[in-house]
Amino acid sequence: MRFNEKELVSLSRQPSEKAAELGMRGPKKGDVVKKRLVKLVVNFLFYFRTDEEEPIGALLLEQCRVEKEDSQTFSIAFLDEAEKKYLFECDSEEQCGEWIDCIIKASYEFMRKNLIFYRTEIHRLTGKDPLEQYGISDETRFQVSNGLQLMTRDTSSL
Amino acid sequence: MKFDEKIVSYFESCNSPVDKKGYLFKKGEIKTSYQKRWFVLKGNLLFYKDRPDDRDLTGVIVLEGCTVQLCESEEQFAFSLVWNEPGLRTYKFAAEDQASQESWIKALLSANHSYLYLLVMDLEKKYRDLVGEFASEPTKAFTMPNLSSAQPGLPSASLSTQTSTLPAYSATVAGAAFSPSSSPMLTPPNVSSKSASKRSPKLWPKRSANVMPINTPSPPLGDWSGLCFSTKDEFGKLHEDFGKEVKVLIADWLRKGQGGAAVQGEDLIDFG
Repeated sequence: MRFNEKELVSLSRQPSEKAAELGMRGPKKGDVVKKRLVKLVVNFLFYFRTDEEEPIGALLLEQCRVEKEDSQTFSIAFLDEAEKKYLFECDSEEQCGEWIDCIIKASYEFMRKNLIFYRTEIHRLTGKDPLEQYGISDETRFQVSNGLQLMTRDTSSL
Repeated sequence: MKFDEKIVSYFESCNSPVDKKGYLFKKGEIKTSYQKRWFVLKGNLLFYKDRPDDRDLTGVIVLEGCTVQLCESEEQFAFSLVWNEPGLRTYKFAAEDQASQESWIKALLSANHSYLYLLVMDLEKKYRDLVGEFASEPTKAFTMPNLSSAQPGLPSASLSTQTSTLPAYSATVAGAAFSPSSSPMLTPPNVSSKSASKRSPKLWPKRSANVMPINTPSPPLGDWSGLCFSTKDEFGKLHEDFGKEVKVLIADWLRKGQGGAAVQGEDLIDFG
């Protein structure tokens, strides 16, 4: 599978509010915990050897399960398979919680669901579709469900 | 740099929403001829393979840091994805007709992560302002199904008593939006109005990535990873600019006729 590696590496150099040295363990049997600079940029998690410019790898944070493993450790599992489970050891419970929070919110699909939720709620409360002012109400990516169009509702019960 | 093909492939083939799909001609990376490929756009990823039913992905293009431009080409209905940094490449495409070209350009322009992020922040603010107006209307948690049991140290118990959950997200949200008496989550819950406001802002029960609630009262804007904007202005302006650019471009096309004429190096909008 081809991918635009240089451009992805360039993305890994973008500023990020979430970058820290964490203990990271890969998914394979026999993988051990190693100190890595882990950096969250948009919906990618890059990991570097400390002080290296180019990341060792990039994890796409879509369709993954982020879970707390113990007080300072979280995991990211892909494909519902234990064999694709990465472990991250943090320095504190607070740091661990923050990372879980950020990774979940970074997912494009998570943002899309939020968008649909807010769109629905705002429409319910005001009778107006908030995406109309931007002229994007018809875009498939923002549909509530299967292209159902939002209709005006009686909100007098509020 | 490692980029796990299985994970990427899984995302392409799973049933998450597809933003756009169709055939495009792609200029080869080694051979310079244009090859017809099937493209699937999901979020900020553009996947491509030979045919829609192929199991193997030929490739993926991560759409971050690039601009979408019309480009000079012997092919009609051409456009390109351009990374402006030295050493980074340009992908050239040709659509089958003008409608497809316009549609793909529009989709690719808004495919990047920041666009959606700003849009969500904008709507979130509108929602919170609205809820402030409807004083009796408690802010609702955006809850997803399958609340798991409490983890040590996490107050998920309070979450489950104060909000109602939906048995199945998409169907019920859609249903609730249109019918008066459906899901308790989307109609004002009379019972929980007082307790809702006492909820800790830091709820984060153990949950899978694609079934997460947003906290309410939501964490301050700065908690969203990476960016901290004056969201309304940012997205509003972004969209205005986008709209103007597209209008100019379309007018240009129409004058020159069918988009066949070369428009060199014209930036639509720089998301990079």
